[in-house]
Amino acid sequence: MEEKLRQLKDKALRELERVSDLNSFRDLEIKYLGRKGELAEILKSIPSLNGEEKKIFGALGNEIKNELAKKFEEKRIFFGGKRERGFIDITLPGEKIEGGHLHPITLVQNDLENIFTSMGFMILDGPELESDYYNFEALNIPPYHPARDMQDTFYIARTDADGTGVSDLVLRTHTSPVQIRAMQKYGAPFRGVVPGRVFRSENIDASHEHTFYQMEGLMVDKDISIDNLIFTLKQLLNGIFKRAVDTRIRPGYFPFVEPGIELDIKCALCGGAGCPACKHSGWLELLPAGMVHPNVLRAGGIDPDIYSGFAFGLGLTRLAMMKYGIEDIRLFNGGDLRFLKQF
Amino acid sequence: MQLSLNWLKDFVDIPKKITPEKLGLLLTTHTVEVESIMKQADKYKNVVVGKILKVEKHPNADRLQIATVDIGEKEKRQIVCGAPNIAPRQFVPVALPGANLPNGTEIKEAEVRGVKSEGMLCAPDELGLGVDHSGILILEGKPKLGKPLADYLVLNDVIFEVDNKSITHRPDLWSHYGMAREIAVFLNHKLKEYKPDPKILESTGAVKLEAKVENSDLCPRYMAVALENIKIEKSPKWIEDRLIAAGLRPINNIVDVTNYVMLESGQPLHAFDMARIYAGKNADLGRLRIIVRTAKKGQTIETLDGRERELNENMLLIANEEKPLAVAGVMGGASSEINEETKAVVLESANFNFISVRKTARELDLRTDSSVRFEKALDPNNCETALLRAVELIKKLCPEAKVASNLVDEKSFKLNQGPIVLDLKWLGKRLGEKIETRKVIKILSSLGFGVEKGEHELRVTVPTWRATRDISIPEDLVEEVARIYGFDNLRPSMPRVEIGAPIENEEKILERKVKNILVGAPALTEVYNYSFVSEEQIKKMGFDADNYVRLSNPIASNQNLLRQNLATNLINNIRANQARFDSVGIFEIGSVFSPLSGDVNKDAVKREMLPYQEKHLGVTLGGDSDLELFGRLKGVLEYLFSFLKLDLEYKELEIKPVWADTEICAGLVSGGKRIGAIAKLDFQLGKKLGLKKEVLLAEMSFKDLFALVSAGVAGVYTPLEKYPIASRDLAFVINAKIWYSDIKKEIENFSPIIKKVELFDVYQGEKLGKDKKSLAFHVMYQTDRTLTAAEVDEIQNGLIKNLEEKFEAKIRDF
Repeated sequence: MEEKLRQLKDKALRELERVSDLNSFRDLEIKYLGRKGELAEILKSIPSLNGEEKKIFGALGNEIKNELAKKFEEKRIFFGGKRERGFIDITLPGEKIEGGHLHPITLVQNDLENIFTSMGFMILDGPELESDYYNFEALNIPPYHPARDMQDTFYIARTDADGTGVSDLVLRTHTSPVQIRAMQKYGAPFRGVVPGRVFRSENIDASHEHTFYQMEGLMVDKDISIDNLIFTLKQLLNGIFKRAVDTRIRPGYFPFVEPGIELDIKCALCGGAGCPACKHSGWLELLPAGMVHPNVLRAGGIDPDIYSGFAFGLGLTRLAMMKYGIEDIRLFNGGDLRFLKQF
Repeated sequence: MQLSLNWLKDFVDIPKKITPEKLGLLLTTHTVEVESIMKQADKYKNVVVGKILKVEKHPNADRLQIATVDIGEKEKRQIVCGAPNIAPRQFVPVALPGANLPNGTEIKEAEVRGVKSEGMLCAPDELGLGVDHSGILILEGKPKLGKPLADYLVLNDVIFEVDNKSITHRPDLWSHYGMAREIAVFLNHKLKEYKPDPKILESTGAVKLEAKVENSDLCPRYMAVALENIKIEKSPKWIEDRLIAAGLRPINNIVDVTNYVMLESGQPLHAFDMARIYAGKNADLGRLRIIVRTAKKGQTIETLDGRERELNENMLLIANEEKPLAVAGVMGGASSEINEETKAVVLESANFNFISVRKTARELDLRTDSSVRFEKALDPNNCETALLRAVELIKKLCPEAKVASNLVDEKSFKLNQGPIVLDLKWLGKRLGEKIETRKVIKILSSLGFGVEKGEHELRVTVPTWRATRDISIPEDLVEEVARIYGFDNLRPSMPRVEIGAPIENEEKILERKVKNILVGAPALTEVYNYSFVSEEQIKKMGFDADNYVRLSNPIASNQNLLRQNLATNLINNIRANQARFDSVGIFEIGSVFSPLSGDVNKDAVKREMLPYQEKHLGVTLGGDSDLELFGRLKGVLEYLFSFLKLDLEYKELEIKPVWADTEICAGLVSGGKRIGAIAKLDFQLGKKLGLKKEVLLAEMSFKDLFALVSAGVAGVYTPLEKYPIASRDLAFVINAKIWYSDIKKEIENFSPIIKKVELFDVYQGEKLGKDKKSLAFHVMYQTDRTLTAAEVDEIQNGLIKNLEEKFEAKIRDF
């Protein structure tokens, strides 16, 4: 019985291989798989077998029948026949392919890096654990300068003795120390930006964080002017917002620039009418900037009589909050996948 | 700081057309950031003065009355009122419909028990004028009917809240007069003089006042004078109103005057009770000696806030021969505080060193309105103006008061007023455009600078109130010109520089690439964790917290150490998400810190190094089956490394991470260098840390990864083979403890004709015996000619024999 079935299968497949048109295919299909075909002929005798044999040969017969049916179906389609598989719901979703997610700050940072690279700026990095010298002194903020109040600084404990003292190390309160490091390393002329993590010793709530992200910009060259600074900032805003934004520039005080300015943009939420997001002022602080203070240029090893420059700072966290409408700043460092998987 | 508009108007005319909003904007764009503008009148909108004409009983309620009130309109108003104290001919505050009272009551036209009421008569508490609710506020005098209540109460002030950060560098702007000066400049109005007559100090008294300044560096000027016939009482309303508007609490006339003058002039003053600062027998002699000296270590003083403060030898004191009287520039002492019994006072108007005051205030954790001003470096010349003004005001408030002593004025200071040479061509270059010289001169001179015009330059003398620290170089003058001219009036222009492609930061580029790879096929989510770790968790994980960089002022006790690896916080990410996600796959690239000396310089001169810090890459998976996760994590790493054209091997670690599972743990080796590790978090430890999932972690030095990528010859193409590859499958059973990597290497190195070896099956199970495993490989043979089957067989047979000898491998048949 088994022998008969296998021989039939082999024969049928051999003949199927040789078929060259639809007509002879149909004949072949009837010959083997038709109601009175050769296979049906053999299978007919199965019910009369005894229990064990019936089971074995029944299964084998079915297997061969299915295999042949499949091969014949393929051939039929080869000759232009139509598949028979019911209605296809084309609106069903596809196979699920999981993707990963970049952090929203990474996304914003990448965009900005692209803008700056296209404007000929280098992208730099610097240490997050900084010295008092680079974080303050070299930036024209000597010890006991009132400006140190503006920076709630995390100080590093001294490792010697009982470890209770304060060392001359800090977690950088801004990305500005890299201004000095960059000038020392690359000299003038120079164009660069520094994205990175900064720290302020602040209690956290929905709008305050002790860990956030900034991007520092520095350009030093001959005869760089305030007009150049304002121009560059406005270009940058075009790049970020991809539309014209209303701005206002006012004086701002930062010891490492002179003059210092703050560029505000009109609040997009209220259109300048005043709302909680802009503290009812109609404006959002976005870009603190200024002309690099001659003491800072000197600390960077650059002669302020020959070169001048400008610097600015951008809050990456602030930008990401604006871009995605994020209201709770804690989400960025919170590691909640319900949040992170949205980006 | 809070500014009162009325106060500013004492010194500069502000035209009606300059609304408070406009003035706020002008201040913001030229001088300081105004954070908010509050109009006192807004508090009493729709509350007016009315006169009660008639009071009748309410027909339906015993305790209510109906008042007919005239508020200067044609129609009289009918108002239902519950207060017992109303009567005809009284003047009262009437809240009309639409009013929103300070206590939160909204007034609407209403019917009270069937009687129409067109407003409400107000009690003091309803108006925010105290706590009295016993009756309606009865207004004195004969005010005009319909007059806004705010006008009647003379609460018509506007309060500007200025951002203190924006005046950190401007000692002169911590005062109304200083702000008025700025306003006068940008409104182009005249600033009124602030010069009380020195004759006011002419003394009739007999007190011999002396001051000995032991350390003139810390006290460049000390002025004082005594006043007698003082009567301590409440200040008049106009003083109290202004103090309240500026955010200070009125106390008594003398203290209020010192505060008033501070807010007006920017110079902090202090008043001592004269009777209480005499030392011993000097009282009888009428001789008063004040000593300005540093404290002795451990010495204490009770300050005005009632707290006992321990002093140290850096702190400057005002003392007499016996004891400290005040912490200079910070706070007075309780022992000489003005009280109701005070009959005579000593007024101090001094200048203290800004660093010293700042240090002292910080060490005592005591920041006061006084210390905040001194630490900005005040102009010593201002001491005199302020003292005269205070005496003038005290005499006004206490007409009996007399100057009782000589004037003490110990001074030793020199200000650097320049002149600064401002090259006009240079100014144009810094601005980016030329502003007419005439305008530049006008701006500077109206700000108080002395300007002398040369051919190509201006010689600019700095006014004393800007000469302490604020203005010293030409760049400072650029700011003065630009801000008054208006930054928004400048014409932005493109920098003219040589162009060139920026030097690329390859490490940053790699960082971005790695992130993009990991969010691709591995489908991981990027996390940013804090740089801090908890000491408690560090200890639980078996690390030595003493080897960690420690914060001296952490925000929270569980964030007091700097992370030395990313794993610690990544583990917490799994815990935080385990309830909501069956499986978690995350990564982070971030800095880690160690107390050892690193490779980044600490300052430009000393060449000391910062503590070691470098970026790490951490990848973490959480799920249910540790072996599956192990395989998956290795897959992620191999995917990444193959993308970066790097090899990756796993090697047994001699020293395993303290938190790691002893079996599922391996070193990551690439280019022959160990760059990290992969391990399972020990399950029992995980439980202690609150984990309900199995956690697999891989962490490596990003710096090392970058070094490998930089050194690699990534991207070099291999020519396509010209001769066919013969592939044979080879499966054998070996001792389970023999490393796959050793077997693979053995096969690869067996013959140069073996080009590639690929594992395709691993089996471990009862059929083979407990300590056995089966490995199955595709072995690919190829060389620069077509190999015959016999040749391949011969090599393969040799290989099999070799494996049998070396590893006791047993070949399996297929």
